Amino acid sequence: MAEGIRARALTKRYPKSKTGPPALAGVDLEIPPGRVFGLIGRNGAGKTTFVRICATQLTPTSGELTVLGLDAVREASEVRTRIACVPQESRPLYFVTSRQLVDLYLRMRGADRTAAALRAKEVLKELELTEVADKLVSHLSGGMRRRVMVAMVLASDAEVLFLDEPTTGLDPVARRDVWSAIRRVARDNRTVVLTTHYLDEAEALSHELALLEGGRVVLEGRPADLRGRVRQPWRVTVPTEFPLEELRSYGTPSPVEGGYLVFATEPAARELAMAALQRGMRISLGPVSLEDLFLQTVGKPLTGPEEPLESEAS
Amino acid sequence: MTERRRLRSLVTLAYLNGVLPIKTQPLYLLNLIASPLSFLFFIDIASHGVLLLYGISGGMVLTVLTIGSSLQTDMSHYRQDLKWQDVVVASPVEATTYVAGMALSELLYSLPGMGVFVALWIFAGGGTLLGAVSVAIVLLCVWAFASALGFTLATYFEDVRETWVFAPFISLGLTVLPPVYYPITSLPASVRPFAYLSPTTYAADLLHNAIGIQPLGFDALLLNWGVLLGFTAALLLLAGLKARWRDP
Repeated sequence: MAEGIRARALTKRYPKSKTGPPALAGVDLEIPPGRVFGLIGRNGAGKTTFVRICATQLTPTSGELTVLGLDAVREASEVRTRIACVPQESRPLYFVTSRQLVDLYLRMRGADRTAAALRAKEVLKELELTEVADKLVSHLSGGMRRRVMVAMVLASDAEVLFLDEPTTGLDPVARRDVWSAIRRVARDNRTVVLTTHYLDEAEALSHELALLEGGRVVLEGRPADLRGRVRQPWRVTVPTEFPLEELRSYGTPSPVEGGYLVFATEPAARELAMAALQRGMRISLGPVSLEDLFLQTVGKPLTGPEEPLESEAS
Repeated sequence: MTERRRLRSLVTLAYLNGVLPIKTQPLYLLNLIASPLSFLFFIDIASHGVLLLYGISGGMVLTVLTIGSSLQTDMSHYRQDLKWQDVVVASPVEATTYVAGMALSELLYSLPGMGVFVALWIFAGGGTLLGAVSVAIVLLCVWAFASALGFTLATYFEDVRETWVFAPFISLGLTVLPPVYYPITSLPASVRPFAYLSPTTYAADLLHNAIGIQPLGFDALLLNWGVLLGFTAALLLLAGLKARWRDP
């Protein structure tokens, strides 16, 4: 039976960070094979640390981790023959063209010249990079360079792909090209581990996802199921003129720009909406998004200030 | 990974880092030879041609040693700024293949420089076939230990700027103190023991012998070869054991 990734009590404390919280504080996670698994969380939550350990780039402090049924520490060499990774903030070598980068990456992994050239052509076309295929990477925009990195790794035959914030800096059209390519990879029954700050992306792509906070998994499951687990599954926004004390009788208010966001049960949300409309206020009403779920669970927005966790980039 | 695939990876890495940058910017080739040629010029002028052969042998050593520092800078940059090492780690390419490919790519840069010094050597009188073979083996040892040292250090630096901080000290230990451009007897006796701590000293002695400017006796020859090969093996072993492929 095919295996994905299994973490048990996985911890990581960076050597230069003897005091303070660990980057990973006992992560238990089961990532099924052939799926897109999303990892979301604030900066410093431990996403990149987890991905780097899985991709055999970083040594865990304790715990167990298997990738494709292989021990990621003791059998790292075997694991490496079956994985590929786009690291966070990685950039392509600047003196090559996009085509050369993808082609040579595949040849470096052991593909023969003909197969590598053909595959490079296919992937560049899929990610709408054909027009710039023979331009030096140094002449491309930041978003294009990021797309070239993603193309490089998607072109490989790896069974598990780690994509650490693959669409950061991409325009909406380019993001959707990358999404399509990731979906195709998943259709090939390969596993994709994706970290992202874009919750719409996590929701659109992930079969399952996990929310990390403070080095722990605080939520895990299918996006639809996660929404079902929320105690207050509706959201209402009202202007600041609405009395705060009264808002608290409907649900849980949080201040947002120009008003309050209130999480509530469906009947309470409808009552609140009616009360606001009767006072002539502009409101919005709807079911919670993944972002709201994040806010309810963590209590802070996803795009808040970075936590000062040493050596931890995500 | 099969041997065939390993070889393909190695050649690809050498082409990627050795040939493509030169195609993009041919001036890279002159960069590596500029310092050794400058030293040769000064030495030849200052000694009225007497130390020309020392300048040539020193130039050969310095050209190949520069591979180590170039490798260190390239690998630090690729690891820290581009995260390229992380891309390679999460692939079938092994650490030894990566380093060998990168070291080979840096050797490609040094070939034109070496060509200039070999041409000068021939112009200055040349040497024997045995001498030429000795020169080639000595320089291969220098290439191997400089590359091993460069890679090991690159995996420890947390910022590419750190390589610039350490470069003068490494240069002092490998190129300034060892008698690369002069006979060891020119060094003050109090400093000489320090020079013998550097593998370059033995390489330089062997080169001076090979091109006929400072003949060594059989025992000294044996000792120099033994120590140079020992240093080379030790630094390769150090790279194998201590270089950080996976971060701690």
